Amino acid sequence: MPPEHRLESLEDSSADLHDTILNQRLENSQPCRVLVVDDDELVRARLMALLRNAEFEVEATSNGEEALRILETRHCQILLTDWQMPDMDGLSLCRIVRSDHSESYVYVVMLTVRDSKEDLLKGLRAGADEYVAKSAPVEEILARLEVARRITHVEYSLRRSNRENRRLAVTDPLTGAYNLRFLTKNLPRELSRSQRYMHPLAVLSCDIDRFKQINDAYGHDIGDEVLRVFVERANSGIREGSDWLARVGGDEFLVVLPETDVAGAHRAAKKLRKMFAHYPVATHVGPVILTVSIGITALEAEREIQEPSKIEDLLRAADRGLYASKMLGGNKATAVRVSAGKVANINQAGDKNGIN
Amino acid sequence: MGSIRRRPRKLAAVDEDDSFESLRQAFHSRLESERVHFAALSAALARAEENPLWIFEDLVYRAHRLQGGAAIFEESEVAIAAGRLENAAGVAAQSRAENTDEEVWSALEALVTVMGNLESFRAVGRT
Repeated sequence: MPPEHRLESLEDSSADLHDTILNQRLENSQPCRVLVVDDDELVRARLMALLRNAEFEVEATSNGEEALRILETRHCQILLTDWQMPDMDGLSLCRIVRSDHSESYVYVVMLTVRDSKEDLLKGLRAGADEYVAKSAPVEEILARLEVARRITHVEYSLRRSNRENRRLAVTDPLTGAYNLRFLTKNLPRELSRSQRYMHPLAVLSCDIDRFKQINDAYGHDIGDEVLRVFVERANSGIREGSDWLARVGGDEFLVVLPETDVAGAHRAAKKLRKMFAHYPVATHVGPVILTVSIGITALEAEREIQEPSKIEDLLRAADRGLYASKMLGGNKATAVRVSAGKVANINQAGDKNGIN
Repeated sequence: MGSIRRRPRKLAAVDEDDSFESLRQAFHSRLESERVHFAALSAALARAEENPLWIFEDLVYRAHRLQGGAAIFEESEVAIAAGRLENAAGVAAQSRAENTDEEVWSALEALVTVMGNLESFRAVGRT
């Protein structure tokens, strides 16, 4: 899962559908889509023809409820709606759109025969951005929709820029992995979730063996390339949508595995070590063989999960495991249990020559 | 009353013209049937006793729909006449007026007259 998507889902997991719509919006800025809502089929057809001719993409429906269903699944930058319609009128539609779609802005144009000052104010107060009388010349209606297109495009650009800034704030620019800031914010959330639902949580502390030698031998460019490949491969080896990887130092990474016990964490660690020990990294100067040392820890027993474990305990245990793997020559995974603030080795796997 | 003057549609392309023409013809076909409805409603109104609320409400609904369509299809005189009838029938419905309500009759006659005077409407009616 790309970091920007992961960021959204972690920040608000209940907004999956909204994210889908938002992504659709970010990926396809053009053409501008207009949803026409009018209970008169000939008026709808006429407006659709006009808008398509002006290079808008057009959806259309005869009532407010169907309009809301369309907006739930497809992002329409502009909503062009009549006022008086059966069941749900344009004002009610407008109010619901404003309350339900505040994140993904919909520019609402009310197109109606009601042209009194009082009606105009009612429309604007309900949340319409523009209020146009049906008796206005076609050129004016189109000109106002062009204004809507310009404004929604500016809003789209700002949203994209904001989203990119948010992504950059939580990712490492070299590798694209999450950074320490992301880890600091989201590991406590994972821990809280684990404790609330009594689900296991595992953490792998990973370090590329003899990375300094790779840098010294081939230069920093190759070292950077190795780091990028590490992240790419590691991300491909963990579960999309739940597991995540953060860079915590030069060649140190942390993999967070929700819903995973020690046995599962061992399997994940073994898979990661195989990915590198068995497949050299192709670089500009030729293949570079690298191995990875891993420290494993997990909260799995009910007692462990219920204890008020601190993030520091979890990280300290994983680091102990990593240290043990390094002391044994690298290319190993060592599991260490978090237990009431103190740690104890519970398993080791791997050896210098191969993968266990 | 003469034929309706149309605004030039500078932005329209050839395809859009074709589309507009076919939709406009469809709209004028609807005008013909609506004119029959309005004539029937005026007959019902003339026969009605006491407060003919349902007739006023039907007039409001039909006049509103006609006003919106006529505005979009650039039949401004029809749109204005329909708007006048919608308002008059709306007021009559709210005030529980009798079937002799002058404003409703005046607006109804004006609308039917305007609809009958449309050149293209006549053309549709002949076909």
